[in-house]
Amino acid sequence: MNSTSRLIAALALGAAGAAFAQGNPPTTAPANPATAAGQQSPSGGAMGTTGVTPESGGATRTTPPTAQGSTDTSSSSGTTVAASGDTPAMRRARADRN
Amino acid sequence: MNAVKPGTGAASRQLAVLAVAVLAFAQVPLAAAAQDAQWLARAAVAAADNRSAPFAVIDKRNAHVFVFDATGRLRASSPVLLGLARGDDSVPGIGERPVSEIRPEERTTPAGRFETEPGRNTKGEDIVWIDYDAAVSMHRVRATQKSERRLQRLASPTVADNRISYGCVNVPAAFYDAYIQPVLGSRRGVVYVLPETMAARKRFDFLGRPEQRLTRRGFSPAG
Repeated sequence: MNSTSRLIAALALGAAGAAFAQGNPPTTAPANPATAAGQQSPSGGAMGTTGVTPESGGATRTTPPTAQGSTDTSSSSGTTVAASGDTPAMRRARADRN
Repeated sequence: MNAVKPGTGAASRQLAVLAVAVLAFAQVPLAAAAQDAQWLARAAVAAADNRSAPFAVIDKRNAHVFVFDATGRLRASSPVLLGLARGDDSVPGIGERPVSEIRPEERTTPAGRFETEPGRNTKGEDIVWIDYDAAVSMHRVRATQKSERRLQRLASPTVADNRISYGCVNVPAAFYDAYIQPVLGSRRGVVYVLPETMAARKRFDFLGRPEQRLTRRGFSPAG
């Protein structure tokens, strides 16, 4: 095989590779919708427990400011309070009697 | 150079004696209030009613708050402002009404045992809820309404003028930051508000227990 043939073969192989690449275009759609849009556990932990740090015998948890009772939900706009047996989720703000 | 020297004459001595007498007289009600509060604190701790946590006692008759540690040892006290009206109960539904619709005779600070919780009012101020449903809280004194002269009322040695609020307990800001916030502002707690129209045992169940039947002024079983 002379150099011209090798050049033609190389070009053909490159064109085929490009054709394969073009056949699988990139997409913005996530392969798994459940892990899309931010809420991902970086360390493989359960959802809703990211960022938990032990503190003073309890743990901090994030609850929405309007929550009564306590459901563990992640919310970047929530109010973080220390969670222990004596620490309630803060109740809804209301006017006091001054 | 004009140095200030202590007086040495008879007039100065008389003034000094008068000052001591006035100070002593002013301390008598506070001392009695402290004794009442300490008596209740001891009873609460003996009955484990404070759940081994620091707590506060509010003496309405003497317009003072007393903060105790978990063992019932008095840590600090301060004058407070209280509800304008004399009485130990809140009118039903008062917590849902704006202050502008609260009549003067309804401006009471309720008495009894209250499980407090930290919270916020609608202005974003951190407060301690004494009775959330009745909208009664303990907070730093507010001087927003100049005509009420709340700061002056707190500073005066008299008790009668400490009745001005709509039911909330107003505490000097420095005292709140130093004692109330650390004790009650970050966790649930207990506040005992001594009644002013009835015997204390009618508001505190643990005083009725056999081991708590100690006699003391205002707290005896007979009231």
